[in-house]
Amino acid sequence: MSGQRIIDSRGSLPVDRVQVGKQEAEGGCGVVGLACNAPLEGKYLLQSLVQMRNRGNGKGGGIAAVGLVPEQLGVSKKILEENYILQVAYLDKSVRKKVEDEHIRPFFLVDHEARAAAVDDYRSVPGLEVQPPEVFRYFVRIKRDVLAEFARKNGLEGLKEGEVEDEFLYQNSYRLNQEFYSSLGEKKAFVVSHGKNMVVLKLVGYGDDVVRYYRLEDFKAHVWIGHHRYPTKGRVWHPGGAHPFVGLHEALVHNGDFANYHSITEYLAQRNIHPLFLTDTEVSVLLFDLLSRVYKYPLEYLIEALAPTTERDFEMLPEEKKKSYRLIQSTHIHGSPDGPWFFIVARNDVEKNEWHLLGITDTSMLRPQVFAVQEGPMKIGIIASERQAINAVLGKLQGDQRIPSRFADSYWNARGGSFTDGGAFLFTVRDGGDGKELECADKFGRSIDLPEQDWLPNVGSSVSLNASIAIQLQKGPSAQDPLGFYEYVRPALRDAGFQYVGEILEELKRLAMKGQESRQFAIKTLSLLYDRIYDTGNKKRSSLLQLYHEALNDVFSSISLSNYDQHTRLDWKNRSRLVHPLFDEQVLVVDALEFPAEGEDSAARFVVDAYTHGWKNIVLYNLRGHRFIGSGLGPRTNSLRIDCYGDVGDYVASGIDGCEITIHGAAQDQAAQILKYGKLVVHGDVGQAFMYAAKGGNVYVLGNAAGRPLINAVGRPRVVINGTCLDYLAESFMAGDPYNGGGFVVVNGLRPSSDGRFVEQEYPYPGGNLFSLASGGAIFIRDPHQKVSNEQLNGGRLADFATKDWNLILPFLEENEKLFGISVRKDLLTVQEKQLDPHKIYRKIEPTTLQELT
Amino acid sequence: MGNLELIVEKHSERIHHGLEVLPTLRHGLPAGLGNKRWTAELILATYEMALTGDLPKNGLEYKIGDSGGGFDVLGWKNNGFPKIDEDDVDLSISLNKREVGKKIEIPLPIYGGGMSFGSISLNFMLARARAAKKIGTYTSTGEGGYPDAIVPYRDHVITQVATGMFGVREETIQYAPIVEFKYAQGAKPGLGGHLLADKVTSEVAKMRESSMFTSLYSPFPFHSVYSVEDHKKHVDWIKTVNPRALVSVKVSTPTDVDMVAIGSYYAGANIIHIDGGYGGTGAAPEIAKKNIAMPIEYAIPKVHDYLMSEGVRDQIVLIASGGIRTADDIAKAIALGADGCVVATAEAVAVGCTHCGNCERGRGCQVGITTTDPELSRLIEPEWGETRIVNLFTAWSKRLRSILAGFGLESVRDLRGRKDLLVRYK
Repeated sequence: MSGQRIIDSRGSLPVDRVQVGKQEAEGGCGVVGLACNAPLEGKYLLQSLVQMRNRGNGKGGGIAAVGLVPEQLGVSKKILEENYILQVAYLDKSVRKKVEDEHIRPFFLVDHEARAAAVDDYRSVPGLEVQPPEVFRYFVRIKRDVLAEFARKNGLEGLKEGEVEDEFLYQNSYRLNQEFYSSLGEKKAFVVSHGKNMVVLKLVGYGDDVVRYYRLEDFKAHVWIGHHRYPTKGRVWHPGGAHPFVGLHEALVHNGDFANYHSITEYLAQRNIHPLFLTDTEVSVLLFDLLSRVYKYPLEYLIEALAPTTERDFEMLPEEKKKSYRLIQSTHIHGSPDGPWFFIVARNDVEKNEWHLLGITDTSMLRPQVFAVQEGPMKIGIIASERQAINAVLGKLQGDQRIPSRFADSYWNARGGSFTDGGAFLFTVRDGGDGKELECADKFGRSIDLPEQDWLPNVGSSVSLNASIAIQLQKGPSAQDPLGFYEYVRPALRDAGFQYVGEILEELKRLAMKGQESRQFAIKTLSLLYDRIYDTGNKKRSSLLQLYHEALNDVFSSISLSNYDQHTRLDWKNRSRLVHPLFDEQVLVVDALEFPAEGEDSAARFVVDAYTHGWKNIVLYNLRGHRFIGSGLGPRTNSLRIDCYGDVGDYVASGIDGCEITIHGAAQDQAAQILKYGKLVVHGDVGQAFMYAAKGGNVYVLGNAAGRPLINAVGRPRVVINGTCLDYLAESFMAGDPYNGGGFVVVNGLRPSSDGRFVEQEYPYPGGNLFSLASGGAIFIRDPHQKVSNEQLNGGRLADFATKDWNLILPFLEENEKLFGISVRKDLLTVQEKQLDPHKIYRKIEPTTLQELT
Repeated sequence: MGNLELIVEKHSERIHHGLEVLPTLRHGLPAGLGNKRWTAELILATYEMALTGDLPKNGLEYKIGDSGGGFDVLGWKNNGFPKIDEDDVDLSISLNKREVGKKIEIPLPIYGGGMSFGSISLNFMLARARAAKKIGTYTSTGEGGYPDAIVPYRDHVITQVATGMFGVREETIQYAPIVEFKYAQGAKPGLGGHLLADKVTSEVAKMRESSMFTSLYSPFPFHSVYSVEDHKKHVDWIKTVNPRALVSVKVSTPTDVDMVAIGSYYAGANIIHIDGGYGGTGAAPEIAKKNIAMPIEYAIPKVHDYLMSEGVRDQIVLIASGGIRTADDIAKAIALGADGCVVATAEAVAVGCTHCGNCERGRGCQVGITTTDPELSRLIEPEWGETRIVNLFTAWSKRLRSILAGFGLESVRDLRGRKDLLVRYK
């Protein structure tokens, strides 16, 4: 076996026996990755990292870029594709000659070498406190005789030349690091990356500082990953500890923390692999390199070895997969990282000539993760810790008129270790018929296909304004009835082109300038267009959203500051001009853009201020990941209404007690934590740990919830989730007697189809844990095909869905219909075009009395 | 007087009488009282101090137990330190060492640990809150909500936000001068919290918004916090709700407790509260107690030294808890590196706890401490309980002053980290 021979060949590598155990402690981090069929500049990574700074602490940041542009590196295409790019980071510049003489020149033909560009003085990058390393880039080939000698000495003769070359690189870099980084008291130099057609750069600072310091704003690559680190140990931080870490042709960033670091290092040690940087990220990529390069596992098996499919998900696999997965698990379970982790990997698959961006989540989905894809003049895939970071990338691209929309065509979460998607998604950039193409597939290789629709043409030039088909809004019967108007234009939104939509929007914008009432009408109508699901014909919804988003922003931005009108507006610069409202219904429109995402001056605190000043209607727009919106308002806020436009951040609506919050778009993680009372409407998905320990509230979610919604909820939460959840819904639910004031969750298991209908998801609830250890409340799940089974329940039981259950949930479904346009009769009660009785469609899950609970 | 009042009066009188008579040893040491850690003598000495506000005069052991380990094998050096007058000793400590935020000082290095409404009776909660107010220190709600009766004492009540977030509402966060995140309890790390069905009476269920007589779990861990940056976000959330609140982070003592401490510091905590494995009421599973968490006397110096080496020790308050029984335990914890201690069980002993270990049952506590039974929970009259707890702390203060004066230390702050003053017996 070539794998074993490679492992054996490492037996003679020097090992530092002194260092055992993790020397660096870190927990969460901010991670982002993007892949595109066209090369993208580093500046597009920048904004997403800026907006996730609160996930790091400035003690480590890094990027990796794969699929580079030869001209930018000063080499030919041939050299870029065939040579290794050995990058050495010199913390101590004086050792360069020694490093080159001992570890580079004797073994390699250096076809090109250069210092990685950097700004002259690191202090000119605000916030950088530690001199980043000087990075030298050597484009190398291994000398023939050196390689032959290496193969002979190590028993690697007969292996493919590329395999031996890779292993030589690996061992040479190991020796270099061992001598100049690991075993020295002073750390002087280390190999920051050595793969083909890829570079890694990292420093002590934030991830975005790397882009600035190493002047990567205009540096192009097809695949990028970026990382903010949050290390907490060690007074002195070294860039060597920052992510990404490299195996050979791959770089990995990581958000999380293993519980079994020690076990994995033992597992690696048994295979002659010894970490030198002593963080769990390093062992992750060593593991990845072992499985992919040494064991040559196909990606599916590699992912299975890292994040095993367990419990019910395993049982749901096809027999064939069960067999192979069982073998993988029994071989590699000791090397499987346990605990919260999420990896993003960028790699160059040299053999297949493909570049990969891969996101893998742990089996229990303990870290946040969002995937997204957009197709337009370019096709782009993005993975990040937060949805707002994805939109930051797209927003910047859209702002530069490179893509049609700041919204992805599709956003989704991976279900870790699952039979449904395997918990991992891969974006592949490869040669296509016409330049490069980007493909996305899950762990099982099933591709994620987007409907073939048109994107907004003429990216950059706004839609033609010559309103030849001006709509006579004022004359129609629906003039002051936004919903009526929406229903009226719906067929046109399906059949007409972008031009027509643009004209409607122009008309609405004009209307907004005309007077208070017509502005109110324009805002409501635009919100409906933005929120609702309908048939968009051959037009991409993401492109339409861009138009609505722009129109709404135009309308909001046209509202003057502090006036006597129905609407008045404030922004960061004018925040001190906050005064009392002139009348109860007056609406305060807040441009959130420049407010900090958290802290004393945050948008959330400004909302508290405004409420304290008497404002009862608050609209926030230009949100870009602002956290805690709705928190801090205190008890009994019944008369308050907040509308959020843009990208709302984590913890939205947490702790609200009475007020009503509408999120035009999706919410992120920890939304509605300990929500006490009030109403929350989310026109999209919600993230991890939704409504954790909630006490009540009427909550409506158009899309899916990620992992762990409604854990430990008590009291009387009444929740309608129109999509589904990843897993662990309503664990330890304690919401009393639903017929007597207690709480419940309705799961409809629907998704919008490309033609704007609500259709059944494949499984109304795919997870293996539903209502575990629950002692109160109930789940009502739309499950006409009886797909939910007892194996998913541990503490609940399926019970008859009775008339009283229908009477209980119907008012909520009717409100759901009003909010989202999901018809009780036509969507919920209709199965395969036949209308059925509710009890044939809904199933009830009620708590059982578990012995453990008495 | 109704029948119930008569019954309550009868039992209270007898309990009060017993607590006065037992420490006199007139009838010898009661058989079966206490255990190796909380010996019969230690329990009686605590009764005595709670009665008199002074150290026992009749030779009762009030400094150590008989566990053969932990603080019981640590003693004080005694080799001619220049003594000072006890009255000149300052026992106060600060609970916020950062430059920003409200400066809070407590007059002795002690505050009360979290015991929830549900795990203990409202009257005992009230007694603790009143005592905290009287002394000028704090007590903690634990995780069971914030009963209205406690609100008048809110300037002295820490709101705990634990993993089940029972009864946590915005106003309870806004009441609090200090908000305490409870990630784990030293007595049962990794097991979350449990309140068995017996104790979930209608009042308790109402406060926690759950169902009556159904067992309640607090999960382990926080499902919204799986990493330090989540924790930072969690702290930011609390600060959004109550920007004035100081933040305490209560954790158990895993082997990497030093990492947890430094992470908490960087996330903005004012207090890192480490809870060792000796504590917990009888409701904590026996198999978990003392068997999972690192012993507190190992954890304190580990964290203290680490925070020193990181150069942040003077920015964060280190509080130790988990089986702190005596003034000597407190002084030893401080000498090992803590700033102060949190106590809970000792307060229960002050009002008559016998360590019978039936805390998890609804009617298991015959003295009305760990019960929510409407009859039993009336056995502790809040004012009486307040006096007993204040007396205990007064007696402890005397002992602390005496220890410090013996070493010539003017302030308890100077004792911190003075491992050189300790000797190990055996």
